[in-house]
Amino acid sequence: MIAFHHSPASTHSDSARIVLAEKALDHASHEVDLASFEQHEPAFLAINPSGMVPVLEDEGHRMTEAFFIMLYLDERFPDPALGGADPRARYQVQKWGKYVETHIAPHLVIVRWAERGGPLEQDRQQGFDRLPPERRALWQQAAAGFSAEEVSASREALARAAQRLSQDLEHGPWLAGADYTLADAAVFPHVEQFPALGIELPPAVQEWRARVAARPAVRAAMDGLKLLPVMGPERGRWG
Amino acid sequence: MGRGMLDVYTWEPNANSGKPLFCLTEKQVPFIHHYIDMGHYEQFSPEFLAINPDGTIPAIVHDGFVMTESTPAMEYIDDAFDGPALRPADPYRRWRMRQIMRYMDNIVAPSLAMIASNRLAAPRFVGRDPEELRRELDRIPLPERRASWEKLMFNATPPSDLEESRRRVSEAITRFDSLLSQSEWLAGDSYSLADINVFATFYGLPLSYPDEVTDAATPHLMRWLRRCHARPALQEALAMGRGFITQRAAELRRLLGVGEEMAA
Repeated sequence: MIAFHHSPASTHSDSARIVLAEKALDHASHEVDLASFEQHEPAFLAINPSGMVPVLEDEGHRMTEAFFIMLYLDERFPDPALGGADPRARYQVQKWGKYVETHIAPHLVIVRWAERGGPLEQDRQQGFDRLPPERRALWQQAAAGFSAEEVSASREALARAAQRLSQDLEHGPWLAGADYTLADAAVFPHVEQFPALGIELPPAVQEWRARVAARPAVRAAMDGLKLLPVMGPERGRWG
Repeated sequence: MGRGMLDVYTWEPNANSGKPLFCLTEKQVPFIHHYIDMGHYEQFSPEFLAINPDGTIPAIVHDGFVMTESTPAMEYIDDAFDGPALRPADPYRRWRMRQIMRYMDNIVAPSLAMIASNRLAAPRFVGRDPEELRRELDRIPLPERRASWEKLMFNATPPSDLEESRRRVSEAITRFDSLLSQSEWLAGDSYSLADINVFATFYGLPLSYPDEVTDAATPHLMRWLRRCHARPALQEALAMGRGFITQRAAELRRLLGVGEEMAA
């Protein structure tokens, strides 16, 4: 049986949970309490040394990274198929999976931290030393606080990401065109947090958001908005 | 799927520019290659910005469909064209292949790019008129890119960032050597997009990291590099450069004792 380690406060967890729900996959659910920093406890780091949710276990394999888990689920359980109907739609799926990591999530965590974070108690920082250097650096930076310039740059980046979404939605009701795909599931939980952080959504994105939210699997997987200040992926791409 | 028109815009055949080229030559897909000279900022020219408003390289245009993300485009090329499969069939192996590419794209390649551009590109800006440099910066569409270039132009990359990048590259060298001690190719028994992605950035390691990447220190990585450099498709694409990459690839083949497979 599939085991799924996740947290309801993690947008990445929500994306993968939507796919589990869309495919009605039976699984053992293990919740990780991010509010108490359970993800930095040795027990969870034994499951994922990076201290990140979600983690999927299937057929003796342990897999991390939400978007790759989603692709895995779609390739292993193709009914209903959510990977895109043709190569172009599948490229769109891959592109948005990547954009979540490069254009959305790293900025969302900075803005969310600025809104909800603030100084971090010493005992919350105890687990940092157990993390790999990339993750530790990110958390130490968060604990020290992001500068006003960083926060405003990230706000602008999110507004631009919303524009990119709007542009792609000119080609159809869903991000990959005619069909609902993993691209929608990957992006939706992140965009769901934009309004609460004061980031405006263009009309086409608002309409898309309502379409995604109306899906029964999405309703079942997303149980209320939680803006917990946690770190997402590191920002890739230099130069 | 039909062949149609395929236009590929790249700079020298390495890093992100190398990824689509290496995939296309491996699958023997014909395409029109457009050389965009980053040395002359051609990626910010109005002609290129009309294709990719982000001003990033590469861009791949297939029958009017524009792709500007190199790793997703690699999956597209394997998906849309005939030729040898470059992704394993097994979903778990695919997960592994993608995880390796992510590690490369997010952690390793940016580190190597920071080190290389500080060594190779930064000296070009020394003594230049700051006003002129500012004007060049203003042409860069993406703010995060602009910030990186600004650091480069004004020699403002913090030494601790460079130090951390060096550590990341060294760690990656060890990690990949260990992965290759377990399987022939990075994602398993067959040559895949993961090998192409890593090779695009790591092809020159025995020259750029002569103390760390050797037969004694990293035998598995060296074996893999020899096998990659011997592939005719990689040699063909590496020959598409106009600058130093093509020469460098030939130098590497001599260093590694790999024969020239290509007729030309």
